[in-house]
Amino acid sequence: MIRTVLRLVPDSERATVPRYLAAVVVHALAQSVAYVLLVPLLEALFRGDLASAWGWTAGVAAAAVVVAVAGYQQAVTGIRIGVGMVHSLQTRIGDHIATLPLGWFDSTTAGRVSRLVSTSVKDAMGVFAHLLTPMVAGVLVPAGVAVGLLFIDPHVSLAMVVSAPLLYLVNRWGRRLYGRAEDRVHTASEESNARVIEFAQAQPVLRAFDAATTGNRGLQEALESQRREGRRLVWASVPGLVVFSSLVQATFVGLVYLVISQTSGGSLSAPAAIALIAVSSRFIDPLNQAAELATAARGAANAAERIRALLETPPLDEPTAPVRPQDSSVRFEAVSFAYADGATVVDDVTFEVPAGTTTALVGPSGSGKTTLLRLASRFYDVDAGRIEVGGHPVDAYPSTTLMEQFALVFQDVYLFHQSIAENVRIGRADATEGEVLSAAAVARVDEIVERLPDGWDTNVGEGGTSLSGGERQRVSIARALLKDAPIVLLDEATSALDPQNEAAVVRGVHELTRDKTVIVVAHRLSTIRHADQILFLDQGRIVERGAHDELLAAGGRYADFWGERSRAAGWHLVGSATTADGSGK
Amino acid sequence: MQATERTDPRDVKRRQRAAQAAVLQPVSSRLRLASAMVAVASLCAVAPFILVVEVCRELLTASPDWTKVWTLVFVALGILGLRGLLQSGAVLWSHLIDSEHQDTLRRGLAEKLSRVPLGWFTERSSGDVKKLLRNDVDALHYLVAHARLDVVAALTAPLATFGYLLVVDWRLSLVLLVPVALYGVVLSRIMGPGHTDRMTTYEAWQTRVSETTIEFVDGIQVVRAFGQPRKGHRRYQDAVDGYGSFFRAWVTPITRLEGIGGQLLNPVVVLVLVLLAALGLVEAGAMDPVSVVPFVLLGLGVGSIVLALGYGAQALRQASTASMRLWELSQTPELVEPEGGPRPRVGVVRFESVSFGYRAGRPVLHDVDLELRPGTITALVGPSGSGKSTLARLLLRFYDVTEGRITVDGHDVRDLRATDLYRSVGFVLQDVQLVAGSVRENLLLARPGASEADLERVCRAAQIHERIVDLPRGYDSEVGQDARLSGGEAQRLSIARALLADTPVLVLDEATAFADPESEAAIQDALAALVADRTVLVIAHRLHTIVDVDQVVVLDDGHVVEHGPPAALRSAGGLFSRLWAANERALADIGDDAPTTPGPTNPEGHA
Repeated sequence: MIRTVLRLVPDSERATVPRYLAAVVVHALAQSVAYVLLVPLLEALFRGDLASAWGWTAGVAAAAVVVAVAGYQQAVTGIRIGVGMVHSLQTRIGDHIATLPLGWFDSTTAGRVSRLVSTSVKDAMGVFAHLLTPMVAGVLVPAGVAVGLLFIDPHVSLAMVVSAPLLYLVNRWGRRLYGRAEDRVHTASEESNARVIEFAQAQPVLRAFDAATTGNRGLQEALESQRREGRRLVWASVPGLVVFSSLVQATFVGLVYLVISQTSGGSLSAPAAIALIAVSSRFIDPLNQAAELATAARGAANAAERIRALLETPPLDEPTAPVRPQDSSVRFEAVSFAYADGATVVDDVTFEVPAGTTTALVGPSGSGKTTLLRLASRFYDVDAGRIEVGGHPVDAYPSTTLMEQFALVFQDVYLFHQSIAENVRIGRADATEGEVLSAAAVARVDEIVERLPDGWDTNVGEGGTSLSGGERQRVSIARALLKDAPIVLLDEATSALDPQNEAAVVRGVHELTRDKTVIVVAHRLSTIRHADQILFLDQGRIVERGAHDELLAAGGRYADFWGERSRAAGWHLVGSATTADGSGK
Repeated sequence: MQATERTDPRDVKRRQRAAQAAVLQPVSSRLRLASAMVAVASLCAVAPFILVVEVCRELLTASPDWTKVWTLVFVALGILGLRGLLQSGAVLWSHLIDSEHQDTLRRGLAEKLSRVPLGWFTERSSGDVKKLLRNDVDALHYLVAHARLDVVAALTAPLATFGYLLVVDWRLSLVLLVPVALYGVVLSRIMGPGHTDRMTTYEAWQTRVSETTIEFVDGIQVVRAFGQPRKGHRRYQDAVDGYGSFFRAWVTPITRLEGIGGQLLNPVVVLVLVLLAALGLVEAGAMDPVSVVPFVLLGLGVGSIVLALGYGAQALRQASTASMRLWELSQTPELVEPEGGPRPRVGVVRFESVSFGYRAGRPVLHDVDLELRPGTITALVGPSGSGKSTLARLLLRFYDVTEGRITVDGHDVRDLRATDLYRSVGFVLQDVQLVAGSVRENLLLARPGASEADLERVCRAAQIHERIVDLPRGYDSEVGQDARLSGGEAQRLSIARALLADTPVLVLDEATAFADPESEAAIQDALAALVADRTVLVIAHRLHTIVDVDQVVVLDDGHVVEHGPPAALRSAGGLFSRLWAANERALADIGDDAPTTPGPTNPEGHA
């Protein structure tokens, strides 16, 4: 734990660390000195030799002064290091995340990073602020007492030396037993929580079919199994919790036993015996304290480890000799790619998009269309083959140069918790007011703005939640228009749009793609029909390619697909009163 | 980032305490027993030390009675054993209570969730529900299994010890209180005036950091794609800087006080105080030297009680906000369920002067009158936000009307039992809802006794039978495990289920048809099979899909502005004609039905 946490200390506080560690060690050792001095002190007291008792007390007091001064030092420097660490770690995490490949991000990243930045950083800080000192004391004070007593009573000292590692092992065993039990209870409760959440989400259906409580087998089973697991694990975990604290006290009684048997044998004076008994209690106290902190220490170690792992995630490598694009063509050459979970989504794909032409990607869901767009813009690096943009491999460009080539309109549109105007302006920070307005007008964002209470200054909410899906996509088209990049990567919306919304989107897209190189994941028939090249994908492979008419004439997969889609476009519901023949499908 | 308006903290605390008591009520008597066991166990932890002190007294006599000495040692050991048993028993007992309590709590929550209005779920994200179930139920684990016992243990042992020490020598005992009192003074300086405000500001900064982190990470694609990597980052960095400087400004001045306070409670410092006082007393002949032994054995840990209490208070705070949320849920009003009642079979639906608002004073629907006849399709049309979905959901009783009433075959929906209502009114909405279980179980929800032939018939009608047969275990494949269905396939399965339920009334969202562009045509065929011969209410988004329905109801801002057959409305010159014209223009723009219109891409010959 200590080494991992030390590596997280910012450079500005690094000079303080040795001083801090020294204070921690001196603080602990001075305590053991004070306890060892207690033996001759009490012995003198019980013998009635008050003069030497006062003398020894002066010694204990001197040790106490050292304890207090070192303790004060470690507290002040520890807090300073910890506070410095919070800010520096949060900054470093932010800076590092900004350099990571986009493929590193998924839907759970935000939650994970957010926990890291708040909770984990604070846990790591706690090591310096209040955890390390008692932990070190828990080891050094008993060790110091044991060593010190070597010169006073070797038997007791030896007993202490033997019992300490034993106690340590028992404690570790108990914690591990309990930790494991808690983990398993946790897993079981995760499962039943998931069932309850699913249960909540399926309420309309469950109620509609009167199965809200009785019919849900999954929920009942999960709850029952958790109950069973919970009970079983409670029984398994309790010994670990109790054995250690009992053993610590038993050790004390054992030491007392040892001292008394020496006294009754005559080899130890009564005053010395009592002094030793008193000091023995000081031997176990820090042990107990350190044991209580073990869970917190494990938490801090895990936190530090998570932070370290993030900071050591390799960033996207930037080329040493950056190139400039020659044109706006895109070329995939025998590209294969699998996501981290192992499923191959792109399998040996080769195609070329000459500058200024449109290529439509068509195929069933899950065939890898969207992934091809992500690969072209280097959200991920390919597993095999290569992708060229403007005549050079994508990894030959610095990431900013590469991104300058693309205007992206994807389905998952993210808007910032800011005004609409600012969200459009993200397209090009130095755009003039007029440019922003005209891009917004083309994408019909101005029509949205008219309806909103604060017009252009309306805040769109976190992630853009106060706009509808169609409206969000219009904002993202406006951004892309403002950016005016040579290559457009477009994922057509599949979500429900009313015709007006859809017409606005189509008009925006029309403007966006004028004279551009376009790769589009196409759902609209008009988009597909007018593409220069259609790639029909299935299970990550290109199964058919060509222009619309050629493919239709070939009568293969694409022709079937086209037939189905055309049929779907003419669909309408037919009531009983009006029986229009030939309609309905 | 100022601490702005606050509710009275005492009031909040009172409510939290009430909530906690309510949530713990079912286990509180058993927890009291566990607490008592822990209290006795703590006393048993102190007792051996007292016996050891007696041993010491005996040793100092001129001729120690060795039998007595050994007896004391063994009794001490015995008490330790007893303590171990009691401690184990209490921990075991409290964990068993906790396990029971969590089970009760989850079952209670599930029960409760099945009785709140369905609208409760639409108002909350699944994240909120998760938080309630995961974090809050877990936080209560600490409250039930640990917190009270920890506090009891942390209080009993030191109090018993102090009582004993007072008996041994009250003067030395008072000396022990000196560092504690000084620590109190330092602590009050640390807290200082305005501590609550600072805590509030601190929490506000924490929230800000976590919000900007989420925005930074979620928005990273946008930020990178537009080549402004510092954009989301800057807001994050600003939050982090602000948090950092607030934290530093807060902590730096109190660091010294913290340092001093910590030393006051150090056992060695306490020891010196005790020794000085004890030697003084012994020198003055006012104290027996051996009386110092209990103080060295037991008295030096006075500091740990202060620290233990602080730690417990933190965890208790978390648990009490958690129980607050759970308690609030238990207070959510439930739908009132009538005892018995009719089951409508014909399917005549009437909206009579229906008004509704999600919040008081913000009506969404005004005075809507509407009749849906069996065997007809009625389409709800209107601009987004006009109240179409809300109107449809009222019929499904996701919410109850604010004014007026909705009847099915003349019975107010509020007088129907949920079972009877949903046996008469079925629905297929945009979000597909399959539950954990096999494909068969999902279908059988609709009609538990349905035969194999029935299942196949509805699945064929819904264009999903072939797909199910292709699954590894056919109808017995588990949804989400070996039955991995696309959005469109799941949608067709839910249509099959609605067919099987065979309700006279059906609420349908037209957007269902394009949930999955790849299987749109198949879904549409399934829907066409579903609507035949029922009372159908359809939420329409695309007007060309409803040209041949029986009746169109046009909503604008919650008012019914037109209704009638679509053909008549098209030429009536009202909102529907305008919508229709806009729809036509839009379709022409989109170009799907107008091959002559140029599409969004360039004509050929450009490359």
